[in-house]
Amino acid sequence: MNPVQLLPVAVLLPLGLAALLLAIAHWLPPRLADGASVLASLGLVALCGWLAVQALHGPVVHWFGGWTPRVSGRPDVVLGIGFSADPMSAVVAAFCALLFALSFIFAWGYFDKIHAHFHVLMLLFMAAMIGFCLTRDLFNLFVWFELMSISAFALTAYPLGRSSLEGALNFTVTNALASFLMLAGVGLLYARTGTLDFLTMAKVIARIAPDPVITGGFVLVATALLTKAAIVPFHMWLADAHAVAPTPVSVIFSGIMVGLGLFGVLKLTAQVFAADAQVLAMVHGGLFALGIATALTGGLMAWAQRHLKRLLAFSTISHLGVMLTAVAAVSATGATGLLLYLIGHGLVKGALFMIAGILLARRNSVDELALHGQGRTLWPVGVVMAVAGLLLGGLPAGSMYAASDLIHESAHSVALMFVLIFAASLTGAAVLRAACRIFIGCSGAPGVEVTAPTERGREQADRPLWLMLLPCVLMIAIAVLPVDAVAPFMGRAAALLLQPDGNAATAIASDHVTLGSFFALALTLALLAASLMRERPTRRFARRVGRVERLPFDALQFLHSGLVTDYVAWMAIGVALLAAFLG
Amino acid sequence: MSILAWCVAAWLFGIGVYGIVTSRHYVHLIGCLAVCQSATYVLLLGIGFRWHAGPPIFYDHPPGTPAVDPVVQALVLTDIVVSAAMTALLLAIALQVHKRRGTLDPQHLRPFRQEK
Repeated sequence: MNPVQLLPVAVLLPLGLAALLLAIAHWLPPRLADGASVLASLGLVALCGWLAVQALHGPVVHWFGGWTPRVSGRPDVVLGIGFSADPMSAVVAAFCALLFALSFIFAWGYFDKIHAHFHVLMLLFMAAMIGFCLTRDLFNLFVWFELMSISAFALTAYPLGRSSLEGALNFTVTNALASFLMLAGVGLLYARTGTLDFLTMAKVIARIAPDPVITGGFVLVATALLTKAAIVPFHMWLADAHAVAPTPVSVIFSGIMVGLGLFGVLKLTAQVFAADAQVLAMVHGGLFALGIATALTGGLMAWAQRHLKRLLAFSTISHLGVMLTAVAAVSATGATGLLLYLIGHGLVKGALFMIAGILLARRNSVDELALHGQGRTLWPVGVVMAVAGLLLGGLPAGSMYAASDLIHESAHSVALMFVLIFAASLTGAAVLRAACRIFIGCSGAPGVEVTAPTERGREQADRPLWLMLLPCVLMIAIAVLPVDAVAPFMGRAAALLLQPDGNAATAIASDHVTLGSFFALALTLALLAASLMRERPTRRFARRVGRVERLPFDALQFLHSGLVTDYVAWMAIGVALLAAFLG
Repeated sequence: MSILAWCVAAWLFGIGVYGIVTSRHYVHLIGCLAVCQSATYVLLLGIGFRWHAGPPIFYDHPPGTPAVDPVVQALVLTDIVVSAAMTALLLAIALQVHKRRGTLDPQHLRPFRQEK
């Protein structure tokens, strides 16, 4: 088999299956769409994984229609459009497909009444993500980005409920604006470099940098990707969209879609702008600061939620901030950390959203206070949720732990490392708090979370519990596997993304446990204990302390107003901030 | 490319964002989004523009005749197609919201905040 010929199949297979299902699914038994989608996703996992291994010796490049750069007969003129699979991009694509496969299993029988429309949208979504990973052309990157957005908008609005429609509107307006910024950025970059191909553009930029138009183009493209990745202050849409989307869709959103934005930033910085000192300075400084701010904001907001899906959405924001600090390093250590964290966090967060989905199906709510003690008979779900919460909070095992070690190493500052650990601990403790309340029934007086927005919900209930639990257990099992077997490959893949000629140093992740690695876990458990042993404030002093504690949370809740016009204003402020950083 | 095109693009984008931020009706807001989008089209077409050059169609011109850049025109055309889908989807969602809630004022449409 020739990898060059098989490369486009990674996108053609889901697109073709989507078209086929749309045409004939009305006449087929409903389970056939489920089965075909799962099989196609698993096939893509295998294909992309195989491509990743093949690409270790050099990127696998496919030029559509045979329009290779030689056809134009002039150097630096690339007429064709190509796909290029380096190992890291292929691994990310394989991970997308894996999450889709698990999500399709979770959704088995979920969407019976509507033929295969759900599957068609999901397959389009998957094709867009894989295309986003594999393309080597800036405009194609934009087109895949748009396709990803549009299928995501439709999937969010799908239940046609009140909140889902309103969340989808917020999501669509902010992300549509982001994609206009991206198109403008692509235009600016094209204006200066005269090409859209990554490698050719990198050569031209190395010749003419620093150039204000190039830097402006980068800011606009990065803004769009950071909006998709929900980085402060572009993050407001995420909690609205992820909390209202149907569960199998939330799994994809939090598991990989937002992380792809960060992967895009890293890939562009490393492959296109590596020679532009002005852009690199901004990535090292500005994006790093945004990452820290995002981690902290997300962590605090997650701590102050009671609606489980909103809680998980804010925890995703927090972990994206952690990942952005890895991107900002633009180093082999950071890139390896990002790759492992993307996978570890995606698995854990996907499993947690599925657990929220199980609660929605079985208990018609995901409010941790309303569900107090109602999960006792669903105890296996509680066990999985507890393990997932511990992993978020820094349990020293598996890929998330190994990755956070690398990310902390790339941060180069002990104080900032503690901020990252604190943010992750807040999210882990919030998940564990919800698990204890729902599945054990222990409580403590509710703290800041009591005034958080919430609502009841319902999802299709007639699916067997084991079928819904199976993908969760699988995901957690993969997430806690030791990384020693794959660490050299991941390190090599990350190094090849930064230096395609293979000269970069390689960072090897390791999950060896030392005494210091229990610090994050201890902090998580301390926060959990503090929230579960809290008592109702009766004395005047205690009440005053409570009021002071509330202040920052109330301020944050006030800023996350749910009003799309505010969100757009924040985006404008964010672009101004990035521009001011260059100024 | 003249400075005028840059100014027009920036101005269009600015008033579009201003319109979105101050909007009190979703259909108006979607319209403002389309204004922002036209700003990017002006920018792109401005980038590809050459003085004293014809359209990039060589049916009745010999190859080598000066022509404006066809790549940005292709970009604009592609984006028009994608954005038409996006606008249609937004309007469809707005229609569904109006059916359920009887209003399209963003102030009254905040997810998770209607039960208090």
